[in-house]
Amino acid sequence: MGGPLLLVRALLFIPDRVAGMVGNIITALVQIWSNRVRSLLTVLGIIIAVTSIITVVSLVEGFGNYVTNFLRGLGTNMMVVYPQVVRGPRGEYLRRAEMTIEDIQTVDTHADAISRTSPVIFTGASVEYGRRRIDRVDIRCTNESFLRIRNFEVDAGRFFAPVDIENGAALCVLGREVLRKLECDESVIGDFVHVDGQRFQVIGLLKAKGSFMGDNQDEIVVIPWTTGLKLYPHHRKYMAFYVEARAEPEIPEAEGQLVRILRQRHGIKSGEMNDFGIFKQDEVLKNFRQVRVIATSVLAGIVSISLLVGGIGIMNVMLVSVTERTREIGLRKSVGARRRDILAQFLTEAVVLSTVGGAIGIAFGYGIVYMASMHPNMVEVDVPLWSVALALGFSAGVGIFFGIIPAFKAAIIHPIDALRHE
Amino acid sequence: MVIDATSQATSAPETAQPVIELIDLHKIYRVGTELVHALRGTSLRIHENEYVAIMGPSGSGKSTMMNIIGCLDVATRGSYLLRGRDVSTLSQSKLARIRGREIGFVFQSFELLGRTTALKNVQLPLSYSRTRHRRQRAIDALERVNLLDRAHHRPNQLSGGQKQRVAIARALAQQPTIILADEPTGNLDSGTGEEIMTIFDGLHEEGQTIIIVTHEDHVAARCWRTIKLRDGQIVSDQKSGRGISDADDAGPNRPVTVGTPSDRPEQAAT
Repeated sequence: MGGPLLLVRALLFIPDRVAGMVGNIITALVQIWSNRVRSLLTVLGIIIAVTSIITVVSLVEGFGNYVTNFLRGLGTNMMVVYPQVVRGPRGEYLRRAEMTIEDIQTVDTHADAISRTSPVIFTGASVEYGRRRIDRVDIRCTNESFLRIRNFEVDAGRFFAPVDIENGAALCVLGREVLRKLECDESVIGDFVHVDGQRFQVIGLLKAKGSFMGDNQDEIVVIPWTTGLKLYPHHRKYMAFYVEARAEPEIPEAEGQLVRILRQRHGIKSGEMNDFGIFKQDEVLKNFRQVRVIATSVLAGIVSISLLVGGIGIMNVMLVSVTERTREIGLRKSVGARRRDILAQFLTEAVVLSTVGGAIGIAFGYGIVYMASMHPNMVEVDVPLWSVALALGFSAGVGIFFGIIPAFKAAIIHPIDALRHE
Repeated sequence: MVIDATSQATSAPETAQPVIELIDLHKIYRVGTELVHALRGTSLRIHENEYVAIMGPSGSGKSTMMNIIGCLDVATRGSYLLRGRDVSTLSQSKLARIRGREIGFVFQSFELLGRTTALKNVQLPLSYSRTRHRRQRAIDALERVNLLDRAHHRPNQLSGGQKQRVAIARALAQQPTIILADEPTGNLDSGTGEEIMTIFDGLHEEGQTIIIVTHEDHVAARCWRTIKLRDGQIVSDQKSGRGISDADDAGPNRPVTVGTPSDRPEQAAT
């Protein structure tokens, strides 16, 4: 008994201002509901604006998180150093640079900001197992540091040991997607697959990483780089290497060191271009940030236009409502409503109207995001709470901004004129 | 018989302060380029528990006078004392406050809010004056007009007479100093009009001050004092239950008496 009684008492002592506000909101909801078709058409602009906010923000966030996670998966401190074509001062082709294992070892031992390096040859090959065959599988010819640098894990079997690299053993480690496509399970470990016709013994499996932008990172076969060179001797000129900086802030330092070492080793004079390129993650991030800026500008465009349209719609319908309800305004004034009471009532109505539009837009946004997430290749998307708050804030703001003129018009109507209004 | 309003006030309030005192009131409107002199030096006193009819042809200034008495408008010149307080110089928001607390309006076309129940309509003035126990006071007011059983009906579920009773309850809810009714029977058939007038009679008996603006003689005849206006001036001010015209007076035959309410004989209902 005590509970409800206390509640009733608490309700009785709600400050009058709050009670007045609640009263205004109820009046507004009744008004909106009794003109629901008109109200719905009015808030269409707001609905579109808010739906776009929610959808675009969620998708951009989803992709953003995805890219961030991907880069983390790539190894946060990683760079790839690759040979480039050397061009003369007028841009003419001079020669193709090559990266030697000695280059890589020198960098490894002499650059103290670099914790580990790993040679890598990127190529593609067919992989056969029994009667199953898949083409164009990513082949990585690398060494034992690959796992650490690229944040891969072996969750079945083992990875190469340095001795395997030295021997150029015909061993391979498979990604999970390869396993899936070859229709076999972990029992494949110890068995043999054919990579471009060459027999390789499977010694381990990589833990799944998922796909990035439709590119499955688990469709991969890793073999020792020494074996790779035996298999693809002409790929020597494409040999690149992974570099892992000691820590993220040391990436620029690591880059400086390796540039110095490689220029010296390649005999590049000052003023001449590097004969190698460096791929850093922040380039991916930079690209993605650009995409994000574009998406945000497009969003801002759609949102501002539809908010403007929605706002004008609300102003219009509120002006109509004020005219329609002139007698009501007169009555309210005659029973004691002050100008500010009328102002508050109509302003509340405009804000409630636009906020209801915002709420519908949020619901639509959730719907679209949900539908998008149903697509199998879609990254994981979620509606961020701040975008909901932003959308509600925007729609309420539009209500206030475009509702103030009609509300003011209602407030200053003279009660006698209002009561005489037909 | 023509009685001077000030000297012939009922015996009890004679010594008391009048509820309404208009002193040399002028109201000039500007209509386009023309100036309309709607009130030309009107003076008037109305005491507590008076039951007054204001009559006059259209353009006589009766609406203007009612608007000023109801604090919906202010005079151009002269003063208006409501319970001794000069309200002719008050700000809009103070006037609104007085309208809410001192004046109970009853309109010809009821002016109920269509989308809310009778009870909510009656509560409306109370919400603006931030009165406590609004619901209970609204229920009490509905009870006084004998319409409690329709408390949760909406105006479109009510007959004309019931609507006007809701409007009267709304006027009463605030326990106003005066009830100001503008043609309260104007939109009703004569039988329903009678019913409404009976309610006013009853309220008057309970001590309420009532002012009715009307052009119907039989309505005026129910009142105890009739003020006639013409061209912005009071042309007659008669104190009587039925002094103006009994040609179409369907009301009960009441003796002409001047006295305190308690002295008056019991009125026959309807």
